Amino acid sequence: MDHATLVFASVFPVPSLSHTTPTPVATPDLGFTGPGSSFGSPYVANAGGTQHRAARRNLAWSTATRFLSLPKNTADAPRRTHRSSDVEEALSYLLVGEGASQDGEEGLADWYANEARLHFANHVKQALLELWNHEIDLRNAWEVLEETQRVLEQVQNLYHQPFHDHILPFIEQAAANVTIRASRSSDELEVEMVEAAKRKLQRDMHAAFAHTLPSGRLSKTLSYMVYDAACKRFRLHIRQDGLVSGNTEPEDAKEVTRRMTILLMGLERVGLGKDSAQRALAHAMNKVLDTYVASHYLKVDWYSRQPVTAHLRQWVESGFIPLSELFLTCLKCEPASIALLQRKQWQEMALTRLGRSRAEDLFDFVTNWDQSLGAILDLKEYLRLDGAKEHLKGSFSRQVSRRLLHPGATTAYILNVYICIIRAFHRLEPKGVILQSVARPIRKYLKEREDTARIIISSLLVDLKDENSVKLASVGEVSFEIASEMAKPFYSHAEDADEEASWNDMSWQPPPYDAPPEYKKSKMEDVIYFLLTLWDRDDFINELKNILGDHLLKCQDPEFQKEIRLLELIKIRLGEDKLQACEVMLRDVLESRRINESIRTASDKSQEQPPQTPESLGPRTPRPRRPAPSAPRVKPASGPALNAQILSSFFWPILRDETFRVPAQIETLQQEYESRFESIKGMRKLRWMNALGDSCITLEFDDRTEEFEHLTSWQVSVVCAFQPQPGEEWVGKGKDKAVHAFDPQRDEDRAGDDMCKSQSESITRNMEQLEEMLEMDESLVHQALAFWVGKSVLREVSPNTYAVIERLDSSTKDSDAAAAAQELAEVQAAQTTTVKSQADLLNERKDVYMTFITGMLTNQGNLPLKKISFMMGMMIQGGFPFGDAELEGLLTEMESNGKVVPLGGNIWGIRK
Amino acid sequence: MALSTGPRTNAAGSATVAQRLQKELMDIMMKPTPGITAFPDDENMSRWTATIDGPASTPYDSLVFKLSMEFGSTYPYAPPKVLFKTPIYHPNVDFSGRICLDILKDKWSAVYNIGTVLLSLQSLLGEPNNSSPLNGQAAELWDKDMDEFKRLVLARHKTPEELDGAGL
Repeated sequence: MDHATLVFASVFPVPSLSHTTPTPVATPDLGFTGPGSSFGSPYVANAGGTQHRAARRNLAWSTATRFLSLPKNTADAPRRTHRSSDVEEALSYLLVGEGASQDGEEGLADWYANEARLHFANHVKQALLELWNHEIDLRNAWEVLEETQRVLEQVQNLYHQPFHDHILPFIEQAAANVTIRASRSSDELEVEMVEAAKRKLQRDMHAAFAHTLPSGRLSKTLSYMVYDAACKRFRLHIRQDGLVSGNTEPEDAKEVTRRMTILLMGLERVGLGKDSAQRALAHAMNKVLDTYVASHYLKVDWYSRQPVTAHLRQWVESGFIPLSELFLTCLKCEPASIALLQRKQWQEMALTRLGRSRAEDLFDFVTNWDQSLGAILDLKEYLRLDGAKEHLKGSFSRQVSRRLLHPGATTAYILNVYICIIRAFHRLEPKGVILQSVARPIRKYLKEREDTARIIISSLLVDLKDENSVKLASVGEVSFEIASEMAKPFYSHAEDADEEASWNDMSWQPPPYDAPPEYKKSKMEDVIYFLLTLWDRDDFINELKNILGDHLLKCQDPEFQKEIRLLELIKIRLGEDKLQACEVMLRDVLESRRINESIRTASDKSQEQPPQTPESLGPRTPRPRRPAPSAPRVKPASGPALNAQILSSFFWPILRDETFRVPAQIETLQQEYESRFESIKGMRKLRWMNALGDSCITLEFDDRTEEFEHLTSWQVSVVCAFQPQPGEEWVGKGKDKAVHAFDPQRDEDRAGDDMCKSQSESITRNMEQLEEMLEMDESLVHQALAFWVGKSVLREVSPNTYAVIERLDSSTKDSDAAAAAQELAEVQAAQTTTVKSQADLLNERKDVYMTFITGMLTNQGNLPLKKISFMMGMMIQGGFPFGDAELEGLLTEMESNGKVVPLGGNIWGIRK
Repeated sequence: MALSTGPRTNAAGSATVAQRLQKELMDIMMKPTPGITAFPDDENMSRWTATIDGPASTPYDSLVFKLSMEFGSTYPYAPPKVLFKTPIYHPNVDFSGRICLDILKDKWSAVYNIGTVLLSLQSLLGEPNNSSPLNGQAAELWDKDMDEFKRLVLARHKTPEELDGAGL
């Protein structure tokens, strides 16, 4: 015992230090002389009385404590039930008689408690600590707890028994003595005193037990045990870091519950069921709830698409709450039942957890709409709770920005997901407030993407039943979702005009309390509406014009039904006035058919007089899909036919306009067409746009005849150039090559169909010849040649020199070359569209732009890039559809030409 | 123009003026005349700045002149107000830059445009109308003492950079 402890004990009495051990019988206590009295004077009456009592008490104390002291070995200690008379007397003296503790003297009950504590510390503690002073393996949690409980219960009984047998009766007696004088009801007081003594001992012992065991470890183990029991009871499979729970064989749930109940009650008896245990239990139940929510019972129902919330509520009501009540009963908590309000709160708690776990995967649910209906309905339930909407919005926005709005996602994919979001959220919250807020970043992002408008509009035009367009869709250029949305019947929202002020609307409801000011309730269901409102009306219409133009030129449907429908649909949504250009475009293509008819009729009539004009300009409507000759077509293959599409150049987007010479026959036809058109249309001029043509051609070779459809007119022109030209010698035996071409053009036109005849064994041409003959751009000639090589019509006999393959022999050389060339041709074709690309446009108008910049900088002095860009956008007719990057490219180019100088800070000036 | 992607003007009356001016701008840009440029000061297009080079073999050879042009809402039925911003010594231009030129006054016609006005001004530099001078001394010197005239032209002239430096 160190010094510090002794000092401490001198000030604050420590029971264990002052605890007396029973005095040996042989040493009589003679007492001692009190301070100030003379030694050994038996005659001082008062002092003598005190002394006498002290001596007597000492004696009795000694006897009693000897009797009550606990045996070292708890196991084989005999149970002493019999009290000898001297013990009886001593106990009675100490507890009932005048030896009862006075003025801070140690009472026997206190001594006994101390004795028990010391005994516990000396003999039992060690064994318990061995169980507890290392990490408890979770698998042994049950066993450890049970063993602890058993040991503690045993020693508790051991300590209790002598107290009960030998001390309590005397306390009762003392209490009875006291109550004689007391005015209060005697029984009550008596019981109270006895109970107080009992409680004190018990509290002391429980304190000793509880302090012995490491509290953190104990509650953790207890918590695990309860959790384990609950999991087994609810048949949840625990997987914690791959740890397989102790016994994997299915235990009987009832058996587990029984074992746990016994253990908990036992723990409560030895004083381990107090606050910390309750906390541990609460912790465990919390975890049980989590585990249950994550368990397979609450998996998303992908098949029957039902919500699981009802199941969850039912489980809380009939599983979770009864179990908690059982715990409370075991631990003797007050009250043992759970209040109604609390039950409701628990249900909400469970629902919150379910909702949160669902919200974390909401993106996946949305992309898998509508198999995920069940999950969405779960969330719908969750949204009724406080704070749920905010959480859902935040969580989903994070998922979207992480998983959707990045450069790796194609625009079509984003659009598809957006549509799924619209649908799913519509189901989730029909009022659309959440949708509006989560969709905002997506809409913003989509607006920034260059190809969004193109994909939306092309998707609107896709025919799902048409295989060709389906092929396109797989390329990622088209969003299927939009296409299918388009196929749905369309409901007009005509009533939305002034719904706020409609007094007759008896079903009017105020907008949701959390709706933003621009909230609009109607149209929430209409996906197309969401897409069409992505942009400013004007921007959208400009883009629509470009795409519609391209589409109309390529379109195969002579009735243009889809296009008319699309236009009508957009008209309803964007207003009729803005779509004039589109309407004109549509009318152009429709009217072209009529003009073709009338011109053809006119030419049929005039056919008799000039017999040299090509016969049978069969009225081939632009329907090359069905090549079956229509009735008036007398001699199908004898001469080329030409149909034109007449486009009003003002209203169409800028189209490709490469110039080249079309085959002579076509040219003749074009001239005829032109003159007739002018006579019908009152001298309106036609400008042929040969590059936009769509042609069919039949090639006759020595050994075969092949038909080609949907060729561009430059491809046809190139292959026609392989026929002998006037003035060239005809080497061959007079084989025919029949060419029909249908080729469209613009500025009031689109042309064609022709027939070329050629007799040639094998005519060769080289690049220079072709370029000269056709006045065609070199790259275009290359493309066309590659195409024809790919079709095994031409072969490259020597570099840049091509010949017709008149006889297809089995040589694989050609087919290999053909395959390679075909690939090349396909790649090139993919890059060719009818509407000009941005880059083409920039190149073409570069000179104008440069003049503009020069003019601007000359007159306005040095300007920053932003200002230049802004001014160009304002001043140039048709705007400046390029960004700062392109402008900077232009300026850099001008700098290298010595026209402008950068002045730093993105300011540019004229070079002096 | 059927397809009006034209300037975003607010008043309906000035919309046609702005359209006309935009078209003129495009014409100037598409077919630039050497030695003559013009460009609007801001997006509402009613004020322009023009630059003309002095014609060769005249006293103004290799000099650069800036002008301001202001178009009213009645343009092109009324002439624009044109002023020399660069100080110029010329019989038909006063010291504030005001110009005496018939087509900018009573002989104006709606067929004229910015390009023709500037071209006329450029030729006026080489062929002043000495019968109705605004600057009598200049008219006199033009006829009598060309060397002195040239000296005074150079003395009065300022390059655009000097002008900018003077805060004009």
